[in-house]
Amino acid sequence: MLSLLLLLPLLIVMILNLPLGRFRSLGFWVALVLSLVQAYTVLFAPAALSGNHDVLGRLFSLGLATDNLSRVLLLSISIVTFASLLVGRQTIREEKQRINFANLVLIAMTGMNGTVLLTDLFSLYVFLEVSAVASFILIAMKRDLNALEGAFKYIVLSAVATILMLSSLAVLLLISGSTSFAAVGSAIKAEGRSPLVVFAVAMFLCGLFIKGGLVPFHGWLPGAYSAAPPAVSILLAGIITKVSGIYALIRLATSVLGPSNSINALLMIVGTISILVGALAALGQTDLKRMLAYSSISQVGYIILGLGCGTDLGIAGAIFHLFNHSIFKSLLFVNSAAIEEQLGTTDMSQMGGLGSRMPVTNVTSLIAFLSTAGLPPLSGFWSKLMIVVALWQSSHGGYAVLAVLASVLTLAYLLTMQRRVFFGILTDRWANVQEAGFGITLPATVLALITVGVGVAFPLMFNSFLLPVASFLK
Amino acid sequence: MNDHVLLLPILIPLVAGVITLLLRPREAIALAATAFTLVLAVFLYNHDKTFSVAWAGFGMEFLLRLYHFSSFILLAATGFSLLVVLYCCSFMRDSKHPNQFYSYLLITLAFVNGAVLADNLVLMLFFWEGLLVTLFGMIALGGREGFKTATKALIIVGISDLCLMVGIGLAGHLAGTATMSKMSLPMTPLASLAFVFMMIGAISKAGSMPFHTWIPDAAVSAPLPFMAFLPASLEKLLGIYLLARISLDLFQLSAGSWISVTMMIIGSLTILLAVMMALVQKDYKKLLSYHAISQVGYMVLGIGTCVPIGIGGGLFHMINHALYKSCLFLTGGSVEKQTGTTRLEDLGGLARKMPVTFACFVIAACAISGVPPLNGFFSKELVYAGALERGSIYYIAAVLGSFFTAASFLKLGHAAYFGKQTEASKNVKEAPWPMLVPMIVIASICVLFGLYHQLPLNEFIRPILGEQRLAAQESSGNEMLIIVTVIVLALALLHHLVAAKTMGGGLHASDHIRHAPVLTKIYDHADKGRLDPYNLALAIIRGISNLAYRFDRAVDSLYNGLSVRLAYTLSRGISLAHTGNYSLYVVWALLGVAMVLAFMRMSLWQG
Repeated sequence: MLSLLLLLPLLIVMILNLPLGRFRSLGFWVALVLSLVQAYTVLFAPAALSGNHDVLGRLFSLGLATDNLSRVLLLSISIVTFASLLVGRQTIREEKQRINFANLVLIAMTGMNGTVLLTDLFSLYVFLEVSAVASFILIAMKRDLNALEGAFKYIVLSAVATILMLSSLAVLLLISGSTSFAAVGSAIKAEGRSPLVVFAVAMFLCGLFIKGGLVPFHGWLPGAYSAAPPAVSILLAGIITKVSGIYALIRLATSVLGPSNSINALLMIVGTISILVGALAALGQTDLKRMLAYSSISQVGYIILGLGCGTDLGIAGAIFHLFNHSIFKSLLFVNSAAIEEQLGTTDMSQMGGLGSRMPVTNVTSLIAFLSTAGLPPLSGFWSKLMIVVALWQSSHGGYAVLAVLASVLTLAYLLTMQRRVFFGILTDRWANVQEAGFGITLPATVLALITVGVGVAFPLMFNSFLLPVASFLK
Repeated sequence: MNDHVLLLPILIPLVAGVITLLLRPREAIALAATAFTLVLAVFLYNHDKTFSVAWAGFGMEFLLRLYHFSSFILLAATGFSLLVVLYCCSFMRDSKHPNQFYSYLLITLAFVNGAVLADNLVLMLFFWEGLLVTLFGMIALGGREGFKTATKALIIVGISDLCLMVGIGLAGHLAGTATMSKMSLPMTPLASLAFVFMMIGAISKAGSMPFHTWIPDAAVSAPLPFMAFLPASLEKLLGIYLLARISLDLFQLSAGSWISVTMMIIGSLTILLAVMMALVQKDYKKLLSYHAISQVGYMVLGIGTCVPIGIGGGLFHMINHALYKSCLFLTGGSVEKQTGTTRLEDLGGLARKMPVTFACFVIAACAISGVPPLNGFFSKELVYAGALERGSIYYIAAVLGSFFTAASFLKLGHAAYFGKQTEASKNVKEAPWPMLVPMIVIASICVLFGLYHQLPLNEFIRPILGEQRLAAQESSGNEMLIIVTVIVLALALLHHLVAAKTMGGGLHASDHIRHAPVLTKIYDHADKGRLDPYNLALAIIRGISNLAYRFDRAVDSLYNGLSVRLAYTLSRGISLAHTGNYSLYVVWALLGVAMVLAFMRMSLWQG
């Protein structure tokens, strides 16, 4: 059954591109249903996702497997895809573009599901590129100068990442004779000190750093996020970079490399730099989406910091924050989509007082930003708390202090955002602005409810769900 | 009789207090409730009873104990309440919030009864602290100025109640129980500390220096029956009751200990300083309020002597003082009600217009000055005897206090009741009977307790002291003391006559003291409130808060100025670095790769 997650989207894409005439526009609904089915399966029928009875997987000789980590990611993928599709339907006017959008989202979904499910380093790389190629096109969909520039930067830096990862894979294949996680892992353990292995591991890590947009590998990210159409920004910021960069890093660090002090130290340094640079850069932005992009860098830094901590609690916190971040960052981008759709601009210096005109966007944005800044009892608070506590327990007090201080910065720039956009006096220019359509407010409400619900239910989940997430290490 | 009856002296006034807040006729309800409680108190007098219910746990039991001492205080407190309520029936007729006043008064009575009956220190503290609320409420009824005074009282009494709480905690810890009747602590250093803390709570409730400063302020702004009710009688009863309990029962206090000396010093200073202030007052109520403080000195001095005759004198003085001081305040209330003022300048010649009030004033004033054969004379003689036994210096202070007391009351009586009639006193009539009855009753008790002083001494005081204490020292009448007292009183009269003649009128009989070379400076400071410990403490606190504010500003500017500027400078720098040039970003990424490689190499070599 597991391979269906990969094959179904592909199959649908193929069918949709047959000359079906008007029926092709059904593709959007099919994709929507698919994302809901995926969410339902992960939540309520996890037995169907065990890899043992996977006939199709064996047929294609794919090494598919699920564990708690990949289930969390599958859930995030489905939720964010759902939101992105609805917003896309609302914001993309042209029928043909809509069909293209649905197609590309389905391809990206294949890529992401594959990345999450495969147990082979090379296949992981391939599916990573599948979603990357889909996102290149998605970013450039508007075909204006900005969009092309954003896509181009992404392609260039992705090319660098491709070179790094491919050369690394070549070396690893040379050493271990296979690219499956287990084989590479044992080979690295056996020859951990050889310069070649160190080179290969470092190369692969750097490739993933580029994909995940960590400082100083993040150059492509702000441009790509802000130039992309609203629906694509959600998908990109919410899940694609998280899966292709951050999930892959977590997988690499836990399933392949195993515990290693030097890699942990590297991750913590990169994470901290990302947190600080991202937050400081976000503070100075006047463009809403660009600010959210930098904020994304900063939040990803937290995840990497938690991962670098190396303890069970730290990794659980990192994974939890990955999930939370994909929800509330998508929510913030949904809100920015609402604003872009209704106002035609994302320049915050031109806004003010929109809260009274766009109440749903206002309230959901408030929830998302408070959660991002880590205020109890919202979801972001708990995951950040877990990361900070883990850092403290593993005697990395300095990093813990920096992490806490940076969340003050987070609060500062998001509060500035909220105030500039939603609070204050409504200018005459926006006196007749309406709330965005149902296609935007519905996903915003759903995502906000998840943020609040996860936060409130956290004490219930902690023992039953979050600790087992980390225990896949044992 | 069922032991539950012990709850009634608390519950009846409490319930009545709540009812008066809501229903009319308030006067009738208040009168009925206090009268019934008084009957009950008479009925309960000199019975031994305990009532116990599990309460908060941890040794905090709802334990009430009735025995001769508590039943005596119960009787006195309830009696005064009845008389004050009766007095209020006409005094408070035109006041703004009579329902609140009666309600607070009744609840105060309930709490006083509770505190007196409580045999558990924590329970006593519970009632004791409750009094703070009604105290605040009653003073605050005096309008805007009253609110300020109420706050002052709340802070002063609150702080001393806090001391009491600490003392109770310490004592309970040392004794291993909070039950008063089971306590008898030897005076270890820690126990002495506990005693001092509890003593602060007790004497500040009684209004001793230096916890007195709200009383003269309240005399000006609060309703007058309040003064007769709380600072003059009930608070004295309660404070001195606790002081006697801790000195006699809870701690094994011995004469000659430093605590005894401390108490005697506090007592002597309170007598002298407060009476000096009283002497120069030109307001009926304010003058009385300083005497209310000064007289506490005699009680603290008497109990502080730690000899039976002194303690007995202190306790006797407590009941006597409650009698004559409330009577004096009530005469002040009559004067205020009938003339509309209490400024001595505006009064004069009232003796003929208000003969009954005047007669009561004379009796009470003689009693407070210690004129034989009134009650004040006998209790003061006992205190003198006790003080002399411990050291002549205390005796001299006490006698000096008597001199000034007599002088100031001669001045007060002369200024208010004799002399020329003024605008205010021209068309004055005698006060109505509900105001006269309480005064007459109290004044006659003063006379009764004077003429038959053996009656209260044997009936009330002896059982409190206990037979073995009395057996240790049989009081021997010292004729010398009586002669000295009479001489002092005669001197005071002489002084007044001479001074009034030379300074021109009774009102100015003390002006030469007010303007004496050194004293005048001190009085000037006192008039401006500079010697008020409350104001001094406020000044110190203001200084501290000023410093804290400065510090806060400094920290704030660090956050608001420095850190924000730093964050934005960094932010601008990072923004400038993002030029949007993709080749630059590639260079960054490659530099990053190089650094990662270098890091990995180095860390692997190291370990």
